[in-house]
Amino acid sequence: MPYHEFKCSECIPERKKHAVVKGEGEDLTSCLPLGYLNTIPGTISERGCAFCGAKHVIGTPMKDVIHLCHGPVGCTYDTWQTKRYISDNDNFQFKYTFATDMKEKDIVFGAEKLLKKNIIDAFKTFPEIKRMSVYQTCASALIGDDIDAIAKEVMGEMPDVDIFVCNSPGFAGPSQSGGHHLINIAWVNQKVGTFEPKITSDYVMNYVGEYNIQGDQEVMVDYFKRMGIQVLSTFTGNGSYDELRGMHKAQLNVLECARSAEYICNELRVRYGTPRMDIDGFGFKPLSESLLKVGLFFGLEKEAQAIIDEEIARWKPEFDWYARRLKGVKVCLWPGGSKLWHWAHVIHDEMGVDVVSLYTKFGHQGDMEKGIARCADGALAIDDPNELEGIEAMKELKPDIILTGVRPGEVAKKMRVQYLNAHAYHNGPYKGFEGWVRFARDIYNAVYSPIHQLSGLDISKDEIDTDNRFMTRQMISDVKIDKEEAAISDEREYTGDYDCVTKLRGKKYPKLEKGDISVG
Amino acid sequence: MSCELNKKERSGVINPIFTCQPAGAQYASIGIEDCIGIVHGGQGCVMFVRLLFAQHFKDNFLLASSSLHEDAAVLGGVHRVEKAVDVLLMRYPDVKVVPIISTCSTEIIGDDIDGVVRKLNNGLLKEKYADREIHLIPIHTPSFKGSMIEGYDVAVRDFVKAFAKKEEPNGKINLITGWVNPGDVTALKHLLSEMDVDATVLFEIESFVSPLMPDGEAVSHGSTTIEDMKSTANAIGTIALNRYEGGQAANYLEKEFEVPAVIGPTPIGIRNTDAFLANIKKMTGKSIPQSLVRERGIAIDTMTNLIHMFFADKKVAIYGNPDLVIGLAEFCLDLEMKPVLLLLGDDNKKYSKDPRIIELQEKVEYDMEIVQNADLWDLESRIKNKEIDLDLIMGHSKGRFTSIDNDIPMLRVGFPVYDRAGYYRHPILGYAGAIWLVEEMANVLFTDMEYKKNKEWILNVW
Repeated sequence: MPYHEFKCSECIPERKKHAVVKGEGEDLTSCLPLGYLNTIPGTISERGCAFCGAKHVIGTPMKDVIHLCHGPVGCTYDTWQTKRYISDNDNFQFKYTFATDMKEKDIVFGAEKLLKKNIIDAFKTFPEIKRMSVYQTCASALIGDDIDAIAKEVMGEMPDVDIFVCNSPGFAGPSQSGGHHLINIAWVNQKVGTFEPKITSDYVMNYVGEYNIQGDQEVMVDYFKRMGIQVLSTFTGNGSYDELRGMHKAQLNVLECARSAEYICNELRVRYGTPRMDIDGFGFKPLSESLLKVGLFFGLEKEAQAIIDEEIARWKPEFDWYARRLKGVKVCLWPGGSKLWHWAHVIHDEMGVDVVSLYTKFGHQGDMEKGIARCADGALAIDDPNELEGIEAMKELKPDIILTGVRPGEVAKKMRVQYLNAHAYHNGPYKGFEGWVRFARDIYNAVYSPIHQLSGLDISKDEIDTDNRFMTRQMISDVKIDKEEAAISDEREYTGDYDCVTKLRGKKYPKLEKGDISVG
Repeated sequence: MSCELNKKERSGVINPIFTCQPAGAQYASIGIEDCIGIVHGGQGCVMFVRLLFAQHFKDNFLLASSSLHEDAAVLGGVHRVEKAVDVLLMRYPDVKVVPIISTCSTEIIGDDIDGVVRKLNNGLLKEKYADREIHLIPIHTPSFKGSMIEGYDVAVRDFVKAFAKKEEPNGKINLITGWVNPGDVTALKHLLSEMDVDATVLFEIESFVSPLMPDGEAVSHGSTTIEDMKSTANAIGTIALNRYEGGQAANYLEKEFEVPAVIGPTPIGIRNTDAFLANIKKMTGKSIPQSLVRERGIAIDTMTNLIHMFFADKKVAIYGNPDLVIGLAEFCLDLEMKPVLLLLGDDNKKYSKDPRIIELQEKVEYDMEIVQNADLWDLESRIKNKEIDLDLIMGHSKGRFTSIDNDIPMLRVGFPVYDRAGYYRHPILGYAGAIWLVEEMANVLFTDMEYKKNKEWILNVW
């Protein structure tokens, strides 16, 4: 067994089977780490809780909803303004956050009355918003408040409002992943089938497991709409509450992040017979294949191909400029869950970078299966890494860059490893053809930063170069490329706008202007 | 025309000003050398607080979790603390101080963290770590009581309680800073050094600002030592700058070890800094040197350039930590400004008896409102309903959209500030802080004038 034992974790034998090295010629039967087990206390793991998995990851990207946490104020405060799930309604979902602010007397006597008053007050304060999600927390779960009953009571008294209840306290599972599951099932149980959406196309899909980080959803939905497909709902980035109640009317569920949202797709398949199609929105090839796959399902291959051709013609020369310069860059791919396998092979195949390690904070063994199957030989795969293991791995592997979250990124920074935000992106979106160029550009900017080069110089010992007054990124990156070959190519640097998303809003799609064809 | 002290009437919170108690205890913990706190609760209670620190400081701080999962939430989770302590100590050989910080969940299920500390002291620590100096300190911070402010206050008190030990007088003063930035500690230490006063600073957080070194080995962590905390019992006196963040520790030292305590004022602005120096002078017998007269003069010179022309009658709303808000309001008054709305983000019963608030109520000649248990909707709704007309907002980054969406300039101040670069580096305390505050206020107002084309030409000849 190719288990990798970290020196820093030799004293905790439970960690022994959580890291593997994918050896040459080995398959998954011999190199799959354990996954999604309870966290070992005190390891300084990077995992979050099931409350944040439900509320922060999946619940809050829903845009036209009052998001109310039933608990002390911290759960609300802490999961507010720490992500970049934008929306086309001026970001109501992350500008406003609501807490019942449970206090000691509520813990002792129960807080159902407080909850009811809060729900009513919140609707009164924002009379234009008629939809609400109420999230349980550790505290309200432990005192046993019946949130469902209160929600029903209010809905009885206020017929124009609709309330969704998510019972996913922080302790419900080893990580945020427990919350993903709970909110998926809660939504399908409570809300799907309670709203009849307008159908305006012969081709109707839901886009599932997509959270509109820096506009990913809007970029992808633009492609689907250009093909003539009505995207009935998105679960949940930039998604609307009522549209998501109408998920049952779609002909297909197109699934992006299977880690966080496969549950609802599977339930919709069982309950409504809607097929599930897994896609990859990252990378020219996977994205092209994904659009073709969706096209094939609806008989819209030509439409899909037309978009692919147009987009690749526009963006490939810009992508190639970066790819030429990223070859051989060593990457630690350390995201939360699904990007582990979304990116494992494609950044290697298309950008030419070498994935020397991958890890997952909250992924399951299934995610590792996909990630390890896709990554190159020799990669170190770690489940539920902790701080010391991450440091040990970076010292050993000496990556040029790690793709991870804000805080682990700071750990890397201090070790002179560049970091790119894998969750919220640096300058995204990263999905879509243009997004893929932006991703490559961001990696390039990080790796070939002149200041980064300077950070390794010890002026007390090393020789100081007094001749060069400055360096550019290109002076650093182009040392290793074939300049003649580059000169005759049609490659160019990125030419897109800083904001490539806002202009998509309000765009007209002639193929979708049929009116409601579900009526009559 | 008067100053009213009100309470938010609406139930619940829309856009909170504070997070909960455990975050305050965690902020105190990272100020201590060789200390890693274990938060006993769900993993989010640590992960998000670490993220918050990383957002504010753009750096990583170490805190651990007992990782409470479902079984422990139902059947009790003290065994998770036992395991967490052992795992932490095995893997971090330098760790000496381990606060065990409770949360809402573990307080509700009644986990006895004091009991488990006793058990570990008599068991694990004796058996396995006999040759190491280790201090386990239970800190009760149920999230449903108080706020991050009280959590910080309780933690400072509990650290002092755990370590303070009567020995020979050390000739120093204790300086309990409250929840401040590294830049503030630098400014305070500068004042003390000019006065030739030696102080034990709780907490030494200048080292939160850490370099990126060629060897890649630097980390951000506080540097207050166990010795520092022990010696607090032997000081000439304690100055706690903030009534609500460190006041309890000062009172404890006075009661237990007869170390005289002076609580406040927070040295924001000229007048409060003067008072701070007067308190030090009184406590130590040291005189205020010419160098500080000069420094104060530079600050006053700076203000004189700005006040009458740009600041007079400007209406300001301020939210954040209570001592900070009150101190800023007092300073604004000296600057001829009109703080019209002060928002205190929790329901501390002591606010209504706070002499500084009573003084505002008694002396302010225009309409001012102070809201207790306030949230940021208390600010935004008053703006939207045209109950107040503001020229400037002062507060932390969580209120950024209130400023952006209502076209009101805002000076970021307090914690957290994550949408401006490097603010943790700059002081708001002392004369240096006063200079920084007025100049930043002015620059924020100037940028707004230019952005809105509101008499922007006036700056041609200023």
